[in-house]
Amino acid sequence: MTGRQRKQLWGAVHTVLILIAMFVMLVPIIWIFLAAFKTHVDVYQLKLFFTPTLENFGIVFDDPYRLGEKLFNSTIVALVTVIIAIPIATLAAYSFSRFRLTGETMMLVTILATQFVPAVVIILPFFVMFRDIGLLDTRSGLILVNLAIVMPFAIWMIKGFIDGIPLDTEEAAMVDGSSRLQVIRNIVLPMAAPGLLTSAIFCFIIAWNEFLFALILTNKNAVTLPIGLALFKAEEGDLWNLLSAAGIIIMAPMFVLALMIRKYFVQGMTMGAVR
Amino acid sequence: MRDNTLKYLLVMPAVVVVFATAIWPLIEAARLSFTVGRLNRPGSLDQYLGWENYTWAFFEEPAFWNSVWVTAVYTVLTVGLTTVFALALALLLAPGGRLRSSAQTLLILPFAMSPALIGVSFRFMFNPEFGLFDAFFGVLIPPLADVSWLADPNLAFAVVVMADVWGWIPFLTLVLIGGLASVPRDTIEAAQVDGASGWRVFRDVTLPQLAPVLAVVIILKSIFSLKTFDQVFMLTNGGPGTATQTLSHYIYFNGMKYGQIGYSASVAWLMVIPMIFLTYAYAKFVFRKA
Repeated sequence: MTGRQRKQLWGAVHTVLILIAMFVMLVPIIWIFLAAFKTHVDVYQLKLFFTPTLENFGIVFDDPYRLGEKLFNSTIVALVTVIIAIPIATLAAYSFSRFRLTGETMMLVTILATQFVPAVVIILPFFVMFRDIGLLDTRSGLILVNLAIVMPFAIWMIKGFIDGIPLDTEEAAMVDGSSRLQVIRNIVLPMAAPGLLTSAIFCFIIAWNEFLFALILTNKNAVTLPIGLALFKAEEGDLWNLLSAAGIIIMAPMFVLALMIRKYFVQGMTMGAVR
Repeated sequence: MRDNTLKYLLVMPAVVVVFATAIWPLIEAARLSFTVGRLNRPGSLDQYLGWENYTWAFFEEPAFWNSVWVTAVYTVLTVGLTTVFALALALLLAPGGRLRSSAQTLLILPFAMSPALIGVSFRFMFNPEFGLFDAFFGVLIPPLADVSWLADPNLAFAVVVMADVWGWIPFLTLVLIGGLASVPRDTIEAAQVDGASGWRVFRDVTLPQLAPVLAVVIILKSIFSLKTFDQVFMLTNGGPGTATQTLSHYIYFNGMKYGQIGYSASVAWLMVIPMIFLTYAYAKFVFRKA
C-alpha cells in the first residue's frame, strides 16, 4: 500500500469511528424522543416504526399528573435563583478581580470548595431547619438552598469574564472623574454583559436540573420537574411513554440554552481551570 | 466612597450568601453528627453522644462499608473509563474539519439530559422486555436478550457505571479537545519528520503537554463520581439489595427514610474529608493559572 492509500484508508476509518461515537452518544436521547410520541401500546412493543401521536403531552399535563404545576415551580425556582445570584456574584467578582483584599485567596478557595461539598451534606441541616420554621415544600425554601450550588459557580465564572476586560477604559473614566460605582455601572456591566448572560444560563441549567434538594424538601406544592418524573411509576411498572414525554419537556429548554453557551462550555464547567 | 471600604462592601453580600447556604450547614451537620439526631424524637437533635455515630459506622454497620466500597469501585471505574474514552474521542475530533465541528456541537446536546434523566433513560433502555438493549441483543447476541440487567447485582452495577460514563464523556471530550488545541503543532510535525510513529508522537509529545489538563479533568470527575446520587436514585435506587448503594444514597436513605439525621450527618462528614483533598488539588491548578 502506498502512503497515499494508507492516508485515505485512515481518513475513512476516522470518519466511521466518529459516526459510531456520535451515534452512541445520541442513542439514549433519540430513544426517549421516539418513545414520547408512541402510544402506550407501541411503547411496550419495541417498535421502530410507528404512527406518532401527541397524546402523551396532553396526558402528562392533565389530572392526575398535572405536570404544568411542576413546570411552573421549576421555572420560578430556577429563574429567581438566577435573579438573586447573578447581581450578588457580579459585585463580588468585580471586587475579587480588581482589588487586593485581605484574605482574598482564602475566600476564593472557600467559595470554590463549597462548590464541591456533596449536596447530601448541606441538605440535612436545612431539612431540620425548614421543618421547624415551615419552609418545607415551599418554592422560597428551594430557592434559598439552590443558591448554595449556584453562587460559587457564578462568582468564579463571572470573575473569569471580568478578568478578561482590559483595565484602560476603566482607568481613563476615573481620571475623568467617574466614581468607582459609576465605572462599574457604565463601563464594566455593559462590557461584561455577554459573560453575565452566559453565567446566568449556566446557573439556570444547574438550578433547573437540581434533583436532591427538591427530592428532600418538597412533596406536594413545590415539586419540580425532575422530581415529577417519579409520578410515572405506577403499580404495574413505569409508564414509559409518559416518562419520555416529561423527559422531553425537561430537556427542550436545556437543548436551546446549552447550544447558546456552546462557546463557553468548557471554560464554564471547569470554572476557568482549563482554557 | 473610598475603594478600600468599597471593595469589602461589594464582596459582603456574596460572603453572607455562601456562609448561610454552605458554611453554616456544614458546621451544623458536624454538630448534628455528634447527637442522637432522630427526626421523630423531639429534643434528640440536642442530645449529645460523642463519637458514637462514627464508631457505629466504622464497627457495627457493614452497610456503611458496603457503600464505601461501592463508591470507591464506582469512582475508579467511572473516572478511568470516562477519561480513556474521552481522550480517544478528543483525538479523533481534535484536528478540525466539518464533520468534526458538527460532532463537537452534537456533544453539547447530552448536557440537556440531567443525571436524573440519564438514570431514567438507562432504566428504560435496559428493560428486559421492551428496552433497546433487549432488541439489540435479540438480533446480535441472542443469549444476552431477556437478561434482567437491573435485577442482577453485578450487571446493575455495570449499567450504573455505563450510564455515568455515557453522561460524562461529552464534557471531558470537550475539555480535552481544548487541551489538545494548545499543544503546539510544530512540535508534533517536527517529531513526525524525525520519523516517529503515531503512537510515539502521542506518548512522547502530546501526552506530556496534555498532562495538566488531564489532571484537572481527572480531579473534577473524581469529585463528581464520589458525590453521585441522582442517576443512581433514578436508575436502581441503590439496588438490587445494596449492590449500587453509593455513599450519597446511603446518607439519603438513613437520614430521610429512617430519620437518623445524626447518624447520616456523621457519614456525610466522613465523605467531606476526601473532598477536601481533591478540592485542594484542584485549587492548586486554578491558582497556578491566575
